[in-house]
Amino acid sequence: MNSTRYVLIFVLTLTAVVAVMLTSLREATKTQAALNEEIFDKRAILKAVEDHLSGGAEVDDLSDDEVLSIFESNFEQSVIDPSGEIVDGMKAEDIDMAKEKKKPEEERVYPLYVYSPDESSDKFYIVSVRGNGLWDEIWGNIAFEEDLNTITGATFDHKGETPGLGAEIKDNPAFSADFKGTKIYRDGEYVSVTVRKGGARNETYEVDGISGATVTADGVTAMLYSGIKKYEPYFDKIRKK
Amino acid sequence: MAAETATKEKEPLLAFGKKERTLLTDPLNDNNPITVQVLGICSALAVTSLVVPSVVMAIAVIFVCAFSSLFTSLLRNYIPKQVRMIVQLVIIATLVTVVELTLRYLNFPIYKQLSVYIGLIITNCIVMGRLEAFAMANKPWRSFLDGVGNGLGYGAILVMVAVIRELFGKGSLFAGSGIEMKIIGANAGYWINTTENAWFGWYANNNLMVLPAAAMFIIGILIWIQRSYNEKLVDIS
Amino acid sequence: MGEFFNIFIKAAFIENLVLAYFLGMCSYLAVSKTVKTAFGLGLAVIFVLGITMPINWLIQENLLSEGGLLGMDLTFLRLILFIAVIASMVQLVEMVVEKYSPSLYNALGIFLPLITVNCAILGGSLFMVSREYNLTESVAFGLGGGFGWFLAIIAIAAIREKIRYSNVPAPLRGLGMAFIITGLMGIAFMSLMGIDPAAFASN
Repeated sequence: MNSTRYVLIFVLTLTAVVAVMLTSLREATKTQAALNEEIFDKRAILKAVEDHLSGGAEVDDLSDDEVLSIFESNFEQSVIDPSGEIVDGMKAEDIDMAKEKKKPEEERVYPLYVYSPDESSDKFYIVSVRGNGLWDEIWGNIAFEEDLNTITGATFDHKGETPGLGAEIKDNPAFSADFKGTKIYRDGEYVSVTVRKGGARNETYEVDGISGATVTADGVTAMLYSGIKKYEPYFDKIRKK
Repeated sequence: MAAETATKEKEPLLAFGKKERTLLTDPLNDNNPITVQVLGICSALAVTSLVVPSVVMAIAVIFVCAFSSLFTSLLRNYIPKQVRMIVQLVIIATLVTVVELTLRYLNFPIYKQLSVYIGLIITNCIVMGRLEAFAMANKPWRSFLDGVGNGLGYGAILVMVAVIRELFGKGSLFAGSGIEMKIIGANAGYWINTTENAWFGWYANNNLMVLPAAAMFIIGILIWIQRSYNEKLVDIS
Repeated sequence: MGEFFNIFIKAAFIENLVLAYFLGMCSYLAVSKTVKTAFGLGLAVIFVLGITMPINWLIQENLLSEGGLLGMDLTFLRLILFIAVIASMVQLVEMVVEKYSPSLYNALGIFLPLITVNCAILGGSLFMVSREYNLTESVAFGLGGGFGWFLAIIAIAAIREKIRYSNVPAPLRGLGMAFIITGLMGIAFMSLMGIDPAAFASN
């Protein structure tokens, strides 16, 4: 047995060494890491409208600079508040959904991206949603066609779902592809899209679940329902115009 | 003369003799971390529904296991017994965080893929189990080899289970990577297309294989097979 | 009180950490040869889960979250801090067991320190965060989860004690059979998933 003093000194030295090492490494890599993350997030948003990219390009083939330039020229970014009004002077990419989720509901703001391709006058509205999976947070970008009802693409991501099971929401392209063409309104009533265990029964409002990942799939359903609902006031205003 | 014998007895720093070789090969069979030592089962259940995550996990565990063994062994004479677990965990967690930060800097998509495993690596009992059982009492080089060996033994079982689960559960191999092979299934593009091929019309993917329970059965059967060949492992009790 | 009870029942039976989520498997399989050692380890897990859960809750709310004492979002430290709390609690348990029951200490061997990396305990804390429990709920979840783990290990230890007298093929005896039994128990527990005790209470 060592003396208490030795134990204390040992633990403190170890903590100090590790803390200094990790902090300096983090500081040294911070800027590049932030840029990498920004490009990664933007690729995820682009992926939601992949079908409508200029010249049929695929997101994975685009270089980092191309991604940034598409965002510069073809994207309109705005931030909306719970009543559906656009908040002045804010950009969608500056919104951290994880932080927004912790605020009281009336104070939250939501990012909105509007994509207009070069060749046509179409507009696509991309909204961000966030919820909980089995282990930790899950989130996604949902792109709507101009009717603000039909989903034209979706991408999902997660913090720590089980690889091969819950993580399939991100890794299995078939899961997000299933969302294409689904609708969120049934006879004018908001129903959102449901992830159905054992296979979709109505392909317009449901998508196939992932076997072995019921909790994550239910998390996606709940996230879509409450997440898209937040944009409803804004959608109503656009439709009236 | 006396000085000469002394140098002969002192082993070279990076010796690789018979003892060192057994450190690497033992965990592959006689002392396999999963089927004999019963370590690292949770992560084995979690990642083995697909082959690619299993391979990634195996590589990550080999790396973390080897280097945490090395560092723990270097510090072994200084670590106070009262706080040894926390110290071991700090070493493991630091190592994992260093890898995480470096990848974030170099290649963000790969970091995203790996970040999911981080919790699983830190709580993987193989790493801490080997630190407790081996690295705390052995020299650095041997501890390092022991770490590599145990990582390999773990990875071998992981990939075996994953191949069975993915093939029968999803009909594919290496899904989610560039070399995805679609072996058997109901859609075009599979090697054996069950809708077109009349002989295989009855075949459907086994959903049980996707559940964690299937990994329990497969590991149980692997233990059965292994012990039929390796009789000294048979549990008499 | 009703809510406390609901979460306890749900964590212990419906969402049993071992049999529904397959967490904490290593020590569960390795220390379930006899009911006696299983009992000791089960109690240790109840204690560690029951006590780390509220401590980790306090850390999460007061230190790591943005509204906490430091006013910074420190959630990237969550894993390390949670596991440090667990490690210190396990170290405490180890010292107590070593002092008062040396025979149990020897029987548990390496699996006592390995409770630290028992995924059930860290998993419980992560579940608690993602489900946004409050303090009392996290205590209920910790105790319920621990109790469920305790029951599961007692159950398999009892089965393993009985199955010793059955005619199992020699290479499958012991560990191999334990894996297969756990798989079967897990499938049986799947039928409980999705039951909501709160729904019964309100009817």
